[in-house]
Amino acid sequence: MIQIQNVSKSFKSELAVQNLNLEVNKGEILGLLGANGAGKSTTINMLLGFLQPDSGNVSINSIDTSKNAQDTRKLIGYIPENVNLYPYLSGLENLDYFCKLAGLNYSKTELEDYLTSCGLASDAHLKKVSGYSKGMRQKVGIAIAYAKKAKVYLLDEPASGLDPLASNELSLLLQKLASEGATIIMASHDIFRVREVCNRIGILKKGILVKELNSKDVSANELETLYLKFMQN
Amino acid sequence: MFQIIKNEWRFLVRSRIFLGISIAFISIMLLSVFLGNYQTQKQAQTHQNAKDHVRQQWVSIDEMNPHSAAHYGTFIFKPSNLLSNLDEGVNSVTGNVLRVEGHVQNEIVHSEASQMQAVSRFGKLKPSLLLQYIVPLLLVFLAFNSVSNEKQSGRLKLLVLQGAKPLQIILAKTLSVWLYGMLLLSLILFVYGLLNLQSLTADILARTGLFFLSYSLYYFIISGLTVFFSARWQNATLALTSMLGIWIIWTIFLPNILMSSVEKWHELPSRNEFQTAMKEDRSKGLDGHNPTDKRSLALKEKVLKEYGVDSVSQLPINFDGMRMQADEDYGNSVWDKHFGNNRSVLQKQKQSFQLGGIVNPFISLQNTSMGFMASDNLHHQEFLLQVENYRRVFIKMLNDKQTYGGSKTGDWGWKIDNAFFKSVPDFDYQPTQISAVISKYILDVILLFLWTILVVALIVFGTKKIKIV
Repeated sequence: MIQIQNVSKSFKSELAVQNLNLEVNKGEILGLLGANGAGKSTTINMLLGFLQPDSGNVSINSIDTSKNAQDTRKLIGYIPENVNLYPYLSGLENLDYFCKLAGLNYSKTELEDYLTSCGLASDAHLKKVSGYSKGMRQKVGIAIAYAKKAKVYLLDEPASGLDPLASNELSLLLQKLASEGATIIMASHDIFRVREVCNRIGILKKGILVKELNSKDVSANELETLYLKFMQN
Repeated sequence: MFQIIKNEWRFLVRSRIFLGISIAFISIMLLSVFLGNYQTQKQAQTHQNAKDHVRQQWVSIDEMNPHSAAHYGTFIFKPSNLLSNLDEGVNSVTGNVLRVEGHVQNEIVHSEASQMQAVSRFGKLKPSLLLQYIVPLLLVFLAFNSVSNEKQSGRLKLLVLQGAKPLQIILAKTLSVWLYGMLLLSLILFVYGLLNLQSLTADILARTGLFFLSYSLYYFIISGLTVFFSARWQNATLALTSMLGIWIIWTIFLPNILMSSVEKWHELPSRNEFQTAMKEDRSKGLDGHNPTDKRSLALKEKVLKEYGVDSVSQLPINFDGMRMQADEDYGNSVWDKHFGNNRSVLQKQKQSFQLGGIVNPFISLQNTSMGFMASDNLHHQEFLLQVENYRRVFIKMLNDKQTYGGSKTGDWGWKIDNAFFKSVPDFDYQPTQISAVISKYILDVILLFLWTILVVALIVFGTKKIKIV
């Protein structure tokens, strides 16, 4: 579903991503680990079509994101570190607004179903988002992608700042989405969460994919040791 | 795009700060309309009373020599204009009372501004003050972070991912801010219309429609530019600073600089120069009060020859009246020359100032606002011309009565009765129709349209370079 082939990207003279090759299949969750500036967000922005690779190809569902960004964006749900919704609208109104922008007109019941499916308690649906916690906003963000029937979910540091309970809920939600056939890339610093949620893990360092492994093949402690080893060298 | 506009308005309606500011501002606006309307009506009543009083004095003259009546004269009061309730333009400084008498063209006196306790830089609290200066500021404050806020919060990415195009977002934000300006403008015009429902004429409606058009275009220019800066600059503060700078330059500095330059390029004579030149030219003509004047004697010879008599005492008419009218005719030609010259200079000044709209749409807005509300210098000059034409008819009637009314030359004690004074028509001001002057404001309207097109082009082409990340 997602293919990144020999992709390089630099900003001025700084290399952000270097000769990156990745493939993520339908129903798979790939975790991208790396320090700040490792190239995780740059990779996600290239998948979103907001950045053009200097060389190589980025495609989603065999569609080149740099040439047909409008088409690939229809397939993508994006959840940033901070899902900044409109604070003067309720969760339901936010979902309704973003759906309408995508040309989707859902009934109130359908919208409520999407929010509930994404773990937002029904008593919060009509409350203003200004009173939401970060985790609640993440759930609305995922509901926006879910209601859009996204095939690909791109999450940039989604668990950052979440309390353990909210973080666990997020993990379960992502696994549920993957089980329904979604393809997910999750960029994160959180080694333990990535190992728990993802099928595969890629470690990025200074724009280079230094290691790719199956999460089942390593324990959390082993992954941490491996990660630290790559970061320190 | 409709969804984005709707969402922007949901924010406006739900923001307590915004609602508070809006309610306070709308209250001030409505107050300005009510006060302006009250003042206009009061002024109209005062003028009507004064006009009736002066007319009553005139028609009550029992018996009087016609030439004495010409010196007795009358007063004309500039009628208050219903439209100047919205924009009083030059009315507060031009004066509103004019004495009409023989031999001289008096200046209009008793301006409102000269009688005010405190003269503000921006004039009185009139809707035009709020519509020209304050509403654009409100639009700037509403729009300066409309796109930058979306960028900084990361929502712009989400909006684009949901299928909204950056151009759509910026146009929708521009339109939603512009609609707020339109709401305020429409509210003022609606209340003004309601208060004057019975006095509305086709001319007033046409003028108000053009007034509405000018402000609509100007508000779009301000809203579009602000949203454009908000989209192009990396932070909202820069967008706000840029637009406040533009507001200050457009509304305060450029109009003053351009007007001073225009007055230098096309210089009007000073009052002293004007009066001296008039006096000098006048002295070259016939003196109606001096029978031994060279030109009077020449006229006398001509008239005696016409009537085939040897002396003025044999004339069947009163030669004194004829001489007075000849004096008047000469004085009129002197006035036409000098006043005509002034009108021509003023016209050139206006045309040059209008070109200032190329760099400053606020100038075009001010011109059309005053022009369409019939309160600019052009309309004032038109009023002065009507008064002068009336003065000429008025004095000629009196001189003709002196000449052909049955008296003899030198019979200054001859008087006419009250019926004649009643037959002298009162001044009847004919308001200038918009159809007669619209061509004078076409340039301003075209410039406002060109600015609007420029802003749309900026948005369309400028947004292509907007960075989403």
